[in-house]
Amino acid sequence: MTQTDAGIDEKLKKALEQGVVARLPLTFLPFVNQQLKQWDYLFPNERRSVERLLLYVAEIPQPDSEKLFRDVVELENKMGVRGWRFSTREQTILNSSQLASTPYFEEWRRAVRAVFDVADGYAIQQEQTMAAPVHRLILIDLPRVLPVDAEHVWRAWQGIGRPLQLDLESRSNFPSAFESLIMGSRSRSDRFTGGLLDVARARAGASPSDTWTIDAGASVVDYLLDQQPPAAPASSTVVLSYARLDLYRKSFSHEMNTMRKDLADADAVFDRLRQVDVGPWCPPEVSGRPVVREFLRSLFLSGNGAVIFGNSFVEWAASEAFRRARPSFLAARFGVRSKPKPFTGAAIFENPEQVNPLPAVDDLEGSVADAQILAFYIWLAASRFEEYRNSTVCVCIAENIAQARLVAPPEFYISQEAKPVQIDRLGQALRDWMA
Amino acid sequence: MDESGFDSRQPDSDVPVGREGPMDRSRRLFLQAAGILIAGRILPDGLGVARPPSQSGKEQKIVLVIIGGVRRAETFSPEGFVNIPHLYGDLLPSSLFYQHVRNEGVTAHFNAISSILTGNWQRVDDWGKLAPTTPTLFEQFRKRRLVDRSHTWVVASNKALTSQIGASSDPNYGPGYGANVVFPKQLLLAAVVEALRAGRTSNLADREKVEAELENAMQVGNYEGLGWNVFDSSDQLDPAVRTMVGTAVSDFVHGGGPTSGDELTYFVSREVMRRFAPRVLVVVLSDVEAAHFGSYAMHLAGIRSADRLTWQIWQEVQTNPAYCGNTTMIVLPEFGRDPDGSTTNGFFNHRANHDSTRDTWMMTLGAAIDGPQMVERPIRHVDLCPTLVALLGCPALDAQGTIIEEFRS
Repeated sequence: MTQTDAGIDEKLKKALEQGVVARLPLTFLPFVNQQLKQWDYLFPNERRSVERLLLYVAEIPQPDSEKLFRDVVELENKMGVRGWRFSTREQTILNSSQLASTPYFEEWRRAVRAVFDVADGYAIQQEQTMAAPVHRLILIDLPRVLPVDAEHVWRAWQGIGRPLQLDLESRSNFPSAFESLIMGSRSRSDRFTGGLLDVARARAGASPSDTWTIDAGASVVDYLLDQQPPAAPASSTVVLSYARLDLYRKSFSHEMNTMRKDLADADAVFDRLRQVDVGPWCPPEVSGRPVVREFLRSLFLSGNGAVIFGNSFVEWAASEAFRRARPSFLAARFGVRSKPKPFTGAAIFENPEQVNPLPAVDDLEGSVADAQILAFYIWLAASRFEEYRNSTVCVCIAENIAQARLVAPPEFYISQEAKPVQIDRLGQALRDWMA
Repeated sequence: MDESGFDSRQPDSDVPVGREGPMDRSRRLFLQAAGILIAGRILPDGLGVARPPSQSGKEQKIVLVIIGGVRRAETFSPEGFVNIPHLYGDLLPSSLFYQHVRNEGVTAHFNAISSILTGNWQRVDDWGKLAPTTPTLFEQFRKRRLVDRSHTWVVASNKALTSQIGASSDPNYGPGYGANVVFPKQLLLAAVVEALRAGRTSNLADREKVEAELENAMQVGNYEGLGWNVFDSSDQLDPAVRTMVGTAVSDFVHGGGPTSGDELTYFVSREVMRRFAPRVLVVVLSDVEAAHFGSYAMHLAGIRSADRLTWQIWQEVQTNPAYCGNTTMIVLPEFGRDPDGSTTNGFFNHRANHDSTRDTWMMTLGAAIDGPQMVERPIRHVDLCPTLVALLGCPALDAQGTIIEEFRS
């Protein structure tokens, strides 16, 4: 089925009108209803998953759908879901807490997974042709400011991939290899061309959610926005800068810190945060993209430190991008966080500048420890998905020691390079891979 | 979204990547640690060997230290030993050490701790709105032995706990037999929030004024706003408790050491031991939970501080006459954390149904052990409560947990 960015497909609309949702088990409803409600804010990949389920259920006779859901329904009965205060409208903290508290939780998860597997299998069979695997690229940067050392920097990778020596002298006009690779070189018209972003954007069939740049600071995103042609303002790729999202984050934190230790209240605050107009908090590259604006809202709602620390933001945003959007090119740069301040460090969720007038002090050692493992987590997050397993090159650059970690299929032609690789040559190899 | 399980459809999603198998690791750990225990046996008395059981006729005391979620990889593993120099280097040689302690219940804070304290897998809500459904260690002890409330304390850093952790909803027991419960970190947080609200944040950069802010947070109105429950339901803190906390705060502020929530929990715990000498003290340390915010460095710092503070609590046990020679100290994590590569974002969380999250360890020191020993046989969190109840001379209630045989009652 052809998937477009806008609106619900006619076939799905018809299935919904015929009441397909009523044939779903109770515990499917929060997810499905929420996805349908937020349809305009879903990435194409996410829509496909719900569509496959609903169209499959709509196409099979009632006894077959009852058989499909039998295990889930039996588990719902054992768990006593009908007796719970269980929202069928949307996913809530209370719903999750109730599900996770039963001894049948894991069994239920397996049963849910089995249903989706059947629907996916059916859809693939219907589509008859498996799309040719797309070559994908993940570029991660541990910038020069992070004082990594060669002995420890790749320890978290547990032997996955191999180190690659880099020759950083050829890094174009940029202060870092990372910027040079994604931006390319300066042309006569003073614009940058030949970077990985250009290649990614130019790929046939590429959608705006295929290319992501995530920055713990602002410099990379500033460069990118500076280079955007005025006719296409920030819409051809997703660009997220932790620093540029300062107002969004602080406003969100302020709301979240009012949350009390009461599940009903927590859900109430979440409801409020789901509805609040975040537009005024967004930088221009986000405010004009509803799907990105809502991606950030759910990212911040899901925690994992994305509101608190730039490096956590980079890792969690990348992980969620893989899960939700399956981009073919993702570039992520880590940065430096401050040390916790005396006494007020315990209030980690509060804005440290606001609660303590002591000057912020960079925690270089701590930032290195964080970024080293989080860089690996970005790769792990991608490799959970079939799309990335055998067709992805992942390069994590440690600028400070002129090294990179390379995870790549054997056909990536500099996989076995023993000598230091010039940035130009690495850039060419990556462009060839993407092209 | 992953909370509901809908993102868990990827194969191998909960499988850690590139780690050696748990059995390989435990065998290696066992062999290494066994070497340490043998060394412990040949050292002179007092230099590594557990003390003999209490001969003084003094009553048995229990200090239970529960640490938040920590993985084996960052603690009792070859690469983790560096984070726990005291547990591994100073305490392990004289301990009864269980290599595999399973949390088979809900791996969230309130349920995990209440399962440890009741001997039954608790499945109440995660945020402490409801009390555990079966009697806690405190209630069983207090009811059976007619013990005063001052003999049972919980001092906890964890924000997910409430005073409901001190007593169950069992109609035959309940709050009348419950423990005193204090949350020192909540005092710290309340002081920060109040200073922020009142525009006095400059006070938080000055040690003298920090102390005043903390005292103010303790004294304003209803102290139960801090979530504490001490001695009675009065809205004023008992004067002895206020003095005790004041001393702890002063030591915390002026000690010149770290200023984390666990640090204050340690100082309050130490003062509770010095002023009330309770028979049962439960200390919950949770700096490790900085992991939820994605800082691995802060998580490791939390492990190191839990290691140091546990050591300091043991020093207090050894030097405090009310505890020396008659105290059993137990140290265990609530659970592990999720494996690298899990759908739940690895070390950040503790929700995966995986050994990395469920399989932890436990260390026992002092009066109830016959000597250093390494136990490979898995035990469960719920086995601890009936064991401690027996240690306190009470008959065991019917529970999911069973008495751990290596403990000497």
